[in-house]
Amino acid sequence: MAYRIQRLPSSTPLIAFAARVIAVVLALLVTALILVITGHNPFELAGEVLSSSLFDSFGLQDLGVIFMPLMLTGLSVAIGQQIGAWNIGAEGQFYAGAFAATAIGLFIPAPDWLSLILMGVGGFAAGAIWILVPTLAKAYADVSELISTLLLNFVAALLVYYVATGPWHDRMTNSATPKVAAEIPEFWGAIHWGFPIAILIAIVLALVLSNTKWGYEVRLSGSNPSAAKYAGIPVRRHLIMVMLLSGAIAGFAGMLEVAGTVHRLQGGISNNYGYIGIMVAVLARGSLIGVIFTGAFMAFIQNSGIILQTQGLTTSAVLAMTGLILFLTAIGEELSYYRITRDKV
Amino acid sequence: MIDIRNLSRRGFLNMTAAGGAAALMSGTLARQAFAAPLAAVKEEDAIIGFGHVGPVTDEGWTWAHHQGVLAVKEKYPKLKKILEVENVPYSADATRTYRQFVSEGANMIFDTSSTGDFLHDVVKRSPKVAFMECDGRTDMPNLGWYYLAHWYPTYVIGVAAGMMSKTGKLGYVASFPVPSVFSGTNAFLMGARSVNPKATLQTIVINSWFDPQAAAQAGTALIDNGCDFLFGIMDEAAYLQVAEKRGVWAAMWNTDIRRYGPNSYVSSVVIDFKDFYVDQVGQRLAGKWSPSQTILAMGKGVDRDKWGEKVPAEVAKAADAVRDKILGGWSPFTGEIKDAKGNVKVPAGKTMSEVELYHWDWSIEGVSGLSA
Repeated sequence: MAYRIQRLPSSTPLIAFAARVIAVVLALLVTALILVITGHNPFELAGEVLSSSLFDSFGLQDLGVIFMPLMLTGLSVAIGQQIGAWNIGAEGQFYAGAFAATAIGLFIPAPDWLSLILMGVGGFAAGAIWILVPTLAKAYADVSELISTLLLNFVAALLVYYVATGPWHDRMTNSATPKVAAEIPEFWGAIHWGFPIAILIAIVLALVLSNTKWGYEVRLSGSNPSAAKYAGIPVRRHLIMVMLLSGAIAGFAGMLEVAGTVHRLQGGISNNYGYIGIMVAVLARGSLIGVIFTGAFMAFIQNSGIILQTQGLTTSAVLAMTGLILFLTAIGEELSYYRITRDKV
Repeated sequence: MIDIRNLSRRGFLNMTAAGGAAALMSGTLARQAFAAPLAAVKEEDAIIGFGHVGPVTDEGWTWAHHQGVLAVKEKYPKLKKILEVENVPYSADATRTYRQFVSEGANMIFDTSSTGDFLHDVVKRSPKVAFMECDGRTDMPNLGWYYLAHWYPTYVIGVAAGMMSKTGKLGYVASFPVPSVFSGTNAFLMGARSVNPKATLQTIVINSWFDPQAAAQAGTALIDNGCDFLFGIMDEAAYLQVAEKRGVWAAMWNTDIRRYGPNSYVSSVVIDFKDFYVDQVGQRLAGKWSPSQTILAMGKGVDRDKWGEKVPAEVAKAADAVRDKILGGWSPFTGEIKDAKGNVKVPAGKTMSEVELYHWDWSIEGVSGLSA
């Protein structure tokens, strides 16, 4: 009797899901082990994390506040994946959206409601503009969007840092712009109306992708571009549109962060949401509805970081945990394509 | 300790930059506060939180506040918990950290480096928690602020600088154009000019409280421009090391860090929050806490450091004489004082109040490099 390892052309959703769960559990176990080695009690810490995030109204609000931008950047990456484009630049588009929203909020006098609408449109537009060059480069010259979108992140981050500490800086608070007057109203504690809007965007996009001809063509272009081309589908046009949409969503996340949560533009406002969004999308396996759940999960992990800090751990511990989850998920993802069979002799 | 709580609200508010409507509002809020203080907490049940801007190992600002935390721990060993978070950024992460303190049941929270509205957002939503903001400028029913009268020891160090500088050109490594920097640069130059009326002060703003590389570059540039006495408001020692290498004098902030430049070290604005923190926590436990505005006086929380090894004895003596005079009640910040454009800002004979000094936001004549 011999065992054989077989690679399958695709993994089943159940196995893929199981692989992710195992990866997350393993990551948590490794973290717990490290905590024990460094002299902490992981059960006590876990209890503190659970009680002050899930069983506390402030904690739940914090989850929501982190969830909104994370889910949207995750959605931004996931929508790009539909057509086979990796938008690593959600971070930069987030900054661009925040930048545009702040510019509109600070310098265009308008009543609050109008200002918020303009900021929202500005956020969408700025995100799309920020991904425009990588999009055209990919569509017409086949330049890898992985590199071009990534590099523009640094440009956006430095641009925001420059205006926030330079020309737009606030005298009293020194490292940020003055407060943007128009604020998205809150409906439960710190949770503002961006929350339902963000979820609505995910649901609408998921429905459009699964129920329209356009959605079908996009998915086909993503899974098999040459077949799609052969079938007469305008792959390039779809690619351009989907990538711009991906950028626009990340830009909108940046606008929500300014208008709903931070109310100022400052360096580091993205909080790595753009990068963590990649993980949200990977964990969701590119499912736009799945992003809502994995976004919530990653928000929980990020929020745990703050809780653990008050318990005397450093931020790097949480960063390491996030990295572990991604690392193990990537392994699990690959392994889920294999099965072990027993040869019949 | 000057507790300016007893100043009349009207008088206090007139001195602040706050506009009429805002003043009226914060006035109303403050009355509520005094009407209903927070209930007493048993030591065993009390949780106190501290959020710091840097690491407690910075040998500067955060280290000094951490000494205060240790003092609280020593005085109240039975406290249920002390929460302490380092590197709280000036961003929405500050809001998250302070919300987390509240979630964990903190009774009192200190923000040791003003995070402004990122903190106030939490204050508003947590009426049962006492908040204190260092270098804050906002009053709320459960939020007070505290700072230190660093302008006096700075003036004393300025006197030494005026005597020791040969070129009369002084340099200042600044963080941001904020009131602490305006009062620091102005007091420093006024002290120097009291002995050398021709002295000038050149300032370089590096947009950070902790950026050794930028501070070293700024220090080098100032020395290249002819400055032979450096001062600044940094949480680390980089420009002292530059001064040591280039053979010019330097004075520092926060703590005694002379070992980074023993030959150049003149003195430091040393800070000490131990008594203040112990007192505040005690008030909160006893149910007597109400939001106060406190500026720790020279000798009671802020002072000049023991003079550097190479400081000539007659300089130390002359500067200390000025220090004694200030401790005796004399204020060097008495008119006439002109701003950089030559406008008389403080008329002859008038003395600036502590609150005016705290809110100082214009440069005196002779200070360059700070955009007001």
